[in-house]
Amino acid sequence: MISEHITAKLVQLLTKENVITEQEDLLVLGYDSTPGLHAMPDIVVYPVSSEQVRDIMIIARDEGIAITPRGSGTGLSGGSIPIQGGIVICLNKLNKILEIDEENLTATCQAGVVTLDLFNAVAEKGLFYPPDPGSQKISTMGGNVMEDAGGLRGLKYGVTRDYVMALKCVLPDGSLLSTGGKSVKDVAGYAFKDLLVGSEGTLGIITEITVKLIPPPQDKKTFLTYFDDIRTAGEAVSKIIAAKIIPSTMEIMDKATINCVEDYVSIGLPREMAALLLIEVDGHPAVVAEEAIAVNKILEQVGAAEIHIAKDAEEAVSLAEARRTALSALARVCPTTLLEDATVPRSLLPETFTLIEKLAEKYHLRVGTFGHAGDGNLHPTVLCDERDKDEMRRAHAFYDELYEQVLEWGGTVSGEHGIGIAKKDYLARQIGAGGVAVMRRVKNSFDPQGILNPGKIFESKQES
Amino acid sequence: MTGTKQLGNFTPEDAPEYGDVLQCMRCGFCLPTCPTFSLTGRERSSPRGRVALARAVSEGKLEFNQAMKEEAYFCLDCRACTTACPSGVKAGEVMEICRAQAHQQQPLPKWQSVFRNFILQKMLPSPDLLETSMLPARLYQKLGIQWLVRNSKILKLAPAWIDKAEGMIPEMHQPLRQQIPQFSPATTEKRGTVAFFLGCVMTLMYAEVSRQTVRVLNHQGYDVITPKEQKCCGAPHLTEGDRETTRTLATHNLDLFMKLDVDAIVTDCAGCGSALKEYEEILAERQDHNRLEHFRHKIKDISEFLVEVGIRTEGLKPVNKVVTYHEPCHLCHAQGITKQPREAIQSIPGIELREMDESSWCCGSAATFSLKFTEESQKILDRKLNNVKKTEADVLITANPGCHLQLAWGLRQAEMPQPVLHLSELLGEATPD
Ligand SMILES: Cc1cc2nc3c(=O)[nH]c(=O)nc-3n(C[C@H](O)[C@H](O)[C@H](O)COP(=O)(O)OP(=O)(O)OC[C@H]3O[C@@H](n4cnc5c(N)ncnc54)[C@H](O)[C@@H]3O)c2cc1C
Ligand code: SF4
Ligand code: SF4
Repeated sequence: MISEHITAKLVQLLTKENVITEQEDLLVLGYDSTPGLHAMPDIVVYPVSSEQVRDIMIIARDEGIAITPRGSGTGLSGGSIPIQGGIVICLNKLNKILEIDEENLTATCQAGVVTLDLFNAVAEKGLFYPPDPGSQKISTMGGNVMEDAGGLRGLKYGVTRDYVMALKCVLPDGSLLSTGGKSVKDVAGYAFKDLLVGSEGTLGIITEITVKLIPPPQDKKTFLTYFDDIRTAGEAVSKIIAAKIIPSTMEIMDKATINCVEDYVSIGLPREMAALLLIEVDGHPAVVAEEAIAVNKILEQVGAAEIHIAKDAEEAVSLAEARRTALSALARVCPTTLLEDATVPRSLLPETFTLIEKLAEKYHLRVGTFGHAGDGNLHPTVLCDERDKDEMRRAHAFYDELYEQVLEWGGTVSGEHGIGIAKKDYLARQIGAGGVAVMRRVKNSFDPQGILNPGKIFESKQES
Repeated sequence: MTGTKQLGNFTPEDAPEYGDVLQCMRCGFCLPTCPTFSLTGRERSSPRGRVALARAVSEGKLEFNQAMKEEAYFCLDCRACTTACPSGVKAGEVMEICRAQAHQQQPLPKWQSVFRNFILQKMLPSPDLLETSMLPARLYQKLGIQWLVRNSKILKLAPAWIDKAEGMIPEMHQPLRQQIPQFSPATTEKRGTVAFFLGCVMTLMYAEVSRQTVRVLNHQGYDVITPKEQKCCGAPHLTEGDRETTRTLATHNLDLFMKLDVDAIVTDCAGCGSALKEYEEILAERQDHNRLEHFRHKIKDISEFLVEVGIRTEGLKPVNKVVTYHEPCHLCHAQGITKQPREAIQSIPGIELREMDESSWCCGSAATFSLKFTEESQKILDRKLNNVKKTEADVLITANPGCHLQLAWGLRQAEMPQPVLHLSELLGEATPD
């Protein structure tokens, strides 16, 4: 519970409009996109300046109240859920793009800027910000940095981390930390910036982000390829990369996903096919032409059922858009979609598909799989109903067994969605007790009181 | 969409289905398209938030309280979220059902409910009463009082909404329902017969539009039957949470129109069209499924119908104008009709259709919304007007009376030159006598 005196302090700082205490508002700010997770904050605040973020943090510090940052709440591991109550600090009103520096090819924005808004703003100046998570329409840059979000272009262009040049943040003790800058090289001391990226809001609250921009590719070609067997699609992915071609995109959808997406977008995807790959090669026109021929040849060799080429940029965009709806579209057919984020070395994709099939059968589950095939990052999604306890138990057993094998293959339990609350156990399995202990020490040095986003990634001090 | 079992803190009658609220996976894809969220930035005023509230009520975690009621009515029911949602969630519809709950669970103060019931249950269902009750308004306009009132700022003393309601009343005509012939024959080589569903607002405020709709249909080779006994489609009752009266009206209209041997039932009011198409759900428990499905397949918006049968362009007069098109929510989001109106516009020789940004963004009218939330509605409207302005078009086209009222009022306020025309009026201009 938050005392009246703290509420009054926050109201004085932020005005009434930006301090939320009504039950109904609190109720809808205690979830993200992770199924089955919910917790009530005691109070929610919407800072509109970096100074306010610091002042709020100082109040939380002095009063010893838990404080959980939230962007748009599209996270898929429960990172923004206030499991210990306290303050939820929503950063989405901190949404100004501060600068697009065409000489240094950087953009600086506040943490609450929506990913797609930044993409569009730099595109207007003829520049390109590549990271494009499926949620780009609404996810915030702060959320992207904190989860190190990937996207459809990850294979060639990398993930959010590869673009972050500088961060400004408020640490749990109320001090300000500014790390990195516009210079392309920087080895002055510890690389805090790199530690902060992917830290899931447990080390500091990001207020400002500077990202690297690049010139957009001059040309691109988009393939939509269908397969009778999903393993063949996996094989195509490895063969293309083995041929030293790095497409910007290689996204996969299985039959269940194809059908759900088609139900929503109605663009004529083939409902009877076992899988499709969305492949895009981009760059200099001459290179694109050459690579496109090579990709086409490989697709024919592995025995793709059908190969289509998008007729123009518009069609290419609509295909990528369709792919972005995959997860939400799967939710059409069932009340609950439990999705995972297993990532394996690319050469093991065909084996992974076989494993998923086998386990789905073993546990009598309906599974839809899609993902960033080029990154070896798959999202096997169990289509279930949270009211059916037995089904939920089987779903968890499915993931347990899947992850065991993924770890054995040298994969990871999370390619891009983070650990949050949902995967604390799996993390411990992956990095061992020693690994968790080091992470805990790092956390302690930033947040000795344990007030910032407690209970995420590993158990909080109070719990263990 | 509605269930009959007791569900958490919903009353059994007209409650949302639990499955429909569970369906939301909280991805947030709907957030950028929701006008009320964009205005307030408040999660509970977003589709995701609204569905979460409804879910909490159905799980017994939240009472059906004042906040629930507020959100049910603050929602524009514009259905932009339905279009945006890949999971098939219909937040707008869930809120519409919640209005029925509000109506049951949070009764209005006595005088308000008597007044509301009178309007909804007595006046709207009975065309004659509605039309005579509008008589004073017509007189008032004819006598020029309206002009006086509008200009003397007298109404500034009254609450803002009266001021606005006053400003929104368009020129009144003789209600069309009393004059339009029940049968109006094709004027060119006959292609078929259609029935015409005449909306309440259309007959009273936009009689000229509907007259043009009939004329255009006749010229396109259709005999038009306009049954005099037809009643309100029931949409205003749905919006106000009175689902029972909607069912009564729906049954009446269903019986009436199913008796006719027609190729289609055409309407020029997007709001009516979407309500008529929803009879299938509203009457699901009371009527034969096949009959309802058959009825729904016959309901066509005027542009939907014309494009489906193919517009005969020979003989159309050129209209040398640049027009831009505002998509009514109840056409594009509720009925998924976006291409047909554009195709109909472009079938006219000489016309240039210049697209505005955010053409499917709500204009802020949405039934009584504009009267209850004047300030918010204005901001939504400003955004729309700005997009109209940027096109520099000569004429603004739309296809729904609610939008028509709001846009015409807005353009006048902003002293912008464009007239607002219904698509039928534009087609009428091109149709030779
Ligand atoms: C349909 C769908 C598709 C998705 N596709 C992808 C995808 O392709 N790739 C991918 O990587 N992810 C994807 N995601 C996951 C999610 O969108 C990303 O993790 C995204 O980065 C979260 O952004 P957000 O603004 O919603 O953050 P939130 O969910 O609000 O928060 C995420 C985490 O960051 C913290 N946080 C947020 N802002 C700040 C800040 N300013 N300072 C400190 N901490 C902060 C929170 O505490 C939390 O731990 C998808 C999600 C959905 C629903
Ligand atoms: S209503 Fe649809 S789009 Fe909105 S959050 Fe729920 S599932 Fe996503
Ligand atoms: S119907 Fe319109 S106002 Fe209501 S929740 Fe959906 S988008 Fe928002």
